[in-house]
Amino acid sequence: MTGALQDVVVLDMTREFYASLAGALLGDYGATVIRVVDLSDARTVDHGRDGMHPPERWNSLDELAHRNKQSLAVDLVEPAGREILEKLVAGADVFLTDVPSATLDEKGCDYESLCALKPDIIFTRGSGFGPKGPDRDLPAYDELAAARTGVMPTLPQPGQPPVYTGVGQMHTAVMLALGTMLALHHREECGEGQVVDASLFGGNMYSQSLDMQAYLAIRDDRFLEPLSRLDSGNPMSGPMYPSSDDRWVTLAMPDTDKYWPAFAEIVGLDVADPRFDSHEKRCGEHRLEMMQVLDERFRTRPGSHWKQELDAKQLPADVIEKYEYPASDSNAEANRYILNLEHPTHGPIQSLGFPIHMSESPARLRRTAPCVGQHTAEILRERLGYAESRIQELEADGILGAEPGA
Amino acid sequence: MKQALEGIRVLDLTQWLQGPVCAQYLADFGAEVIHVERPGGGDGARGVRSIKALAIGDWNQYFLVINRNKKSLAVDLKKPEGQELFYELVRKSDVFLSNFQRENLRVWGLTWEKLREINPRLIYATNSGYGHAREINRPSYDINVQALTGLMSRQGEPGEPPIYLGMGSGDTYGGLMSALGIMLALHERRRTGRGQSLDASLYGAQLFMAAPTLQPFLASGKSLYSTQQSRKQAGNPLWNRYQVKDKWIFLCLEDTDENWAALCESLERPELASDARFESARKRGEHNAELVALLDSVLQEQNSQEWIDRCRSLGLPAAPIQNLKDVSGDAQAWENDYLLEVHCGEVNREVDIRGLPITLSKTPGRVESLGPELGQDTELLLMNLLEMEWDRISELKERGVIP
Repeated sequence: MTGALQDVVVLDMTREFYASLAGALLGDYGATVIRVVDLSDARTVDHGRDGMHPPERWNSLDELAHRNKQSLAVDLVEPAGREILEKLVAGADVFLTDVPSATLDEKGCDYESLCALKPDIIFTRGSGFGPKGPDRDLPAYDELAAARTGVMPTLPQPGQPPVYTGVGQMHTAVMLALGTMLALHHREECGEGQVVDASLFGGNMYSQSLDMQAYLAIRDDRFLEPLSRLDSGNPMSGPMYPSSDDRWVTLAMPDTDKYWPAFAEIVGLDVADPRFDSHEKRCGEHRLEMMQVLDERFRTRPGSHWKQELDAKQLPADVIEKYEYPASDSNAEANRYILNLEHPTHGPIQSLGFPIHMSESPARLRRTAPCVGQHTAEILRERLGYAESRIQELEADGILGAEPGA
Repeated sequence: MKQALEGIRVLDLTQWLQGPVCAQYLADFGAEVIHVERPGGGDGARGVRSIKALAIGDWNQYFLVINRNKKSLAVDLKKPEGQELFYELVRKSDVFLSNFQRENLRVWGLTWEKLREINPRLIYATNSGYGHAREINRPSYDINVQALTGLMSRQGEPGEPPIYLGMGSGDTYGGLMSALGIMLALHERRRTGRGQSLDASLYGAQLFMAAPTLQPFLASGKSLYSTQQSRKQAGNPLWNRYQVKDKWIFLCLEDTDENWAALCESLERPELASDARFESARKRGEHNAELVALLDSVLQEQNSQEWIDRCRSLGLPAAPIQNLKDVSGDAQAWENDYLLEVHCGEVNREVDIRGLPITLSKTPGRVESLGPELGQDTELLLMNLLEMEWDRISELKERGVIP
């Protein structure tokens, strides 16, 4: 079996997690992804900067963002280094980057310069806030983009600090991969390359709830304040109720008429209770009262009880889990959403796997994340046809090698 | 202007959110997307008002935005003639997409085994709830799946309820992932001449969506990644949310001594820079609760605009935490077409919609129309695409196969 993108070569000059991950996605599905590390640029990404990811020798986020890639380290300022880049570009289909445009200009890695080397190159670019507008050059941090996008204040309960979830950047990563595929499709049809842009701001815009579109349509200030969990428009769709052992139960039964008889039985309410015997009453005049009643009912039993009862009746409702659940879920493993691996240097580990199942060209883990410059000599020899003596010469001149400080 | 997916035809047998969003991405970039619906009610999302779980307004923004640029064909797939008609469409299409349960597709005779016989070049894409490997029929609304991944449980302050990321927030990721899968399969088909089946499930997409914390949890098992963490004990107090006089702001400073000195300058509290408790990143980490409390008290003295201006003048990254009203007027969003104004026939006026988050320089996406009326293109598609005589169309109408 082959990878869908086995005939595609991607040059990956990315810095941030979201943009690197776009390259890994293309690699997962078969592309040859060459990560180009510029030795003249000392900047490296520090996942620890938010204080959430303590510096460790081996970083699982780097492992995810750079798997299925080869690494080439070269000094792009030196003419001999520049020559290597130019030869790589001439044989590439996609140039993927999130380096700020001013820096790309300096390095001669802007779209126009690369087009001169490979006229139909797909130039895929990640940024913080998009290719146009007054803030196009602001730093590309997901937190800054999420803050701009509008739902952080309304996610928590009233009175609580705004919430940052980190999922916006995950949308941007897939948007970069999807945009690249759209452009590749067009190139195959018409022979022309182009620039593809996706930003953290745009990704966050689509990662957030439907309230965004609802606000645009209705312009009602009630979308600007957080709602109490006991003030849902529908007591059986949206609210969360605590169990006796501090688990939380969510309900997703928007069509309350359909589920009411079975649900009433589980929570010990009379199906014919005159306060709650129609959808209109449940979602109308007795809405708040019903949520109070349910809040009391759910507090009487542990989460395991509710899970069992809800599952037995196949009701769309859940007891909210923690990451321990998917980590030991055999279905997540059966679908390869989570992999149990024997890492060559770190032993048995768990890692996220592949979100898309394909029957004929499945994703594969062909390589774990490379060390910086691990494949430099191999790429020069096999892809660019450099003689061994020339490679040694370039190494001796310090044009090839490992990242400073690595 | 040319469109990237010109000439690609998609049979979009989907309902509600995840499936329609997937097809929306393809339609935005020029694919001919035919939203196939049942006569009578059509896609359940046409009746979204009645569920009362989401405010809709005077035009059905839920359905119309994600089904933009699409055609609608109504056909009764419970009738054998409806299935035959669908097979004829399959012969002329590149992609079949569905987020109905596998059982429905079996009943309608629309399995991969059946459709690949009809058209070996077909890309057969499904959006299941919990993956292709096992047939799991438990409900798979967005929140059912969000509840399982564990992502909700780590949001918010300790002791607070878990946080739902919002209606549809996971569905849209599943849709995006599915669109990527379809493009991958189209690329493979160009080389091999054959289609394939693919599945992008809501569970698979949402697990991947949780990567920034789920991946380190899988690697380390540490509760730091799986449980609620208080902003009052931020590991890096310079990378944190702070309440200022009028709203909240997000400070995003890497914890370097230079940044700390610059922040003290912008706060007009130069003496803090030499405070022994905070003199290095290690010390600031050790005294994080004190430092957050201190910054809380200093920052609340001024409005957000004042702080953002001061931070920007010193090159310190920070942003006001906007609400939906702020973002709806954000020039940056409009200039990049992340928000668009389009005409809505349902209310006969211009309306604002979520726009185009992927920008292609030579074949840009576009929104030509909002979602179609139920079955509005049925007759034309039968005549033009399937070259059906009017007599047969009348016959199908009489038998209730099409409206």
